[in-house]
Amino acid sequence: GKNEYDLLVIGGGSGGLACAKEAAQFGRKVAVLDYVEPSPQGTTWGLGGTCVNVGCIPKKLMHQAALLGGALKDAHHYGWNISQPVHHSWSVMAQGVQNYVKSLNWGHRVQLQEKKVKYFNIKGSFSDPHTVRGLTKAGKETVVTADNIVIATGGRPKHPTHVAGALEYGITSDDLFWLKESPGKTLASFILDVSLECAGFLTGIGLDTTVMMRSMPLRGFDQASTEYLTSPYLANKLKDRFDYFYLLKKKCCRAPDTKTLNLETIGVKTNSETGKIIVDASEATSVPHIYAVGDVTEGRPELTPTAIAAGKLLAQRLFGQSSELMDYDNVPTTVFTPLEYGCVGLSEEAAVQRHGSDNIEVYHAYYRPLEFTVAERDATQCYMKMVCLREREQRILGLHFIGPNAGEVIQGFALGIKCGATYPQMMKTVGIHPTCAEEVTKLHITKRSGLDATVTGC
Amino acid sequence: MAQRLALQRLLSFPTRGPLASHGRAFGTSAGRRSTFNVQDGSDFQDRVVNSPKPVVVDFHAQWCGPCKILGPRLEKLVAKLEGKVLMAKVDIDDHTDLAIEYEVSAVPTVLAMKNGDIVDKFVGIKDEDQLEAFLKKLIGA
Repeated sequence: GKNEYDLLVIGGGSGGLACAKEAAQFGRKVAVLDYVEPSPQGTTWGLGGTCVNVGCIPKKLMHQAALLGGALKDAHHYGWNISQPVHHSWSVMAQGVQNYVKSLNWGHRVQLQEKKVKYFNIKGSFSDPHTVRGLTKAGKETVVTADNIVIATGGRPKHPTHVAGALEYGITSDDLFWLKESPGKTLASFILDVSLECAGFLTGIGLDTTVMMRSMPLRGFDQASTEYLTSPYLANKLKDRFDYFYLLKKKCCRAPDTKTLNLETIGVKTNSETGKIIVDASEATSVPHIYAVGDVTEGRPELTPTAIAAGKLLAQRLFGQSSELMDYDNVPTTVFTPLEYGCVGLSEEAAVQRHGSDNIEVYHAYYRPLEFTVAERDATQCYMKMVCLREREQRILGLHFIGPNAGEVIQGFALGIKCGATYPQMMKTVGIHPTCAEEVTKLHITKRSGLDATVTGC
Repeated sequence: MAQRLALQRLLSFPTRGPLASHGRAFGTSAGRRSTFNVQDGSDFQDRVVNSPKPVVVDFHAQWCGPCKILGPRLEKLVAKLEGKVLMAKVDIDDHTDLAIEYEVSAVPTVLAMKNGDIVDKFVGIKDEDQLEAFLKKLIGA
């Protein structure tokens, strides 16, 4: 047609890059725009989006740094001769993490090049439904036209503009991962999983950290599980202080990056409260030939794997004669706090709401990781819960696990739940011994019974 | 001696003024004279593509371990050739577009350039003998 590209993707993050590369596989002419608006503190980064640069990747690496600190503390119980106290250097850790992230930025550039996807480092905005224009850093205007456009601009932390000094003195995750020097004593506010994770590893590497929150953390996650994450976590790990501050009415801490896209002009509808782009089950927006994937879309999980999968499937539907839609049900995820929380499926609250408390059975257990015993580590927060339907085959609706390596534990069970696994099937699954995960296969105490759910020895 | 030191001080690490954008680090060793860091695309055109002498281009990155070994090794051997070959260093994070243009995918990648053409290339680390052969071929050919 008259448009220059078959597909233009705005946003070079998890969803955008996956969509672009998949479309290119079908021999289509594809372009990607990526641009990082510097944070108020001036932080910026390369290609790859939030996950690679200021999310999943640096977060998990710094979480690992903190875990190693914990392991060093345990080590003497296991016979290691390590002189205490052990010191941590932020700048050494940060350099290692930042170097790895830069190698990923490079890797993405190479991949785009190899797949013949055209890359523009420009901040684009729509001038009509098939035209996007933008300025390069040098101020040169570029115009790109395409038959199909995918908006995958993600989100950015939202600064509380009505809190005096927040903009000048506050930093967000955008800045934290790129600091060359230690942040020192930190107050982490506005509780999202990412803030708890950051507060967690900052504490783990020895920094004085306080968490400030309004009411409950991690809204939307299973309540009991997240309470274990925060209250004893705060009591034990954050210097026995736990301050509640009634601060803000709005809970939203990350906002979609759509302000400069000029969506109103071309009629792409967004949610009036969140600002996120409204899409249907096929990721289509209110404007034909314009789609959206990832964190920028309303009602979707803010996760890299769902953005990637949605982006790929979209490309397959657009150019590959596929009709498969993205399945957003039973998406597993994990919060990488010092003691991790992994889950898949429904929380107890959601299950009760959907089926009624009489129609569900909640199995739970307090367990103790073997590794904690000799190390004399507190295991009171190690907890798991399985929510099942009560009737007929007793299908498993949700699984929740708090403990070490929660992500690794839950990943395998996610397959079972995807396949419609039932409680009897889980009971027939033999556990691997000795692991924490095996306790999932042995869950049998119900909340309803009121019995003590502590796992006894083997 | 004093004059030479004064000249060095005058010319080294300028942060302002007409020389700032070039940022050439001058030194007294032959090695430093024949090795330079590429500043931007037009600098690459001037000093590599349009170079009257053959140039060895070392594409490297901060996060690349083998690059930190290859770089000094190559630099030392280039210095021994006393100006017959020049060495241009390109940090691929600072000059990503240039690296992509020259089809670099893994680092270190070293190109041998003569009269603007790529006449030889290798990827990854090499020992001194292999590097000497590489350089010899560049001058000889």
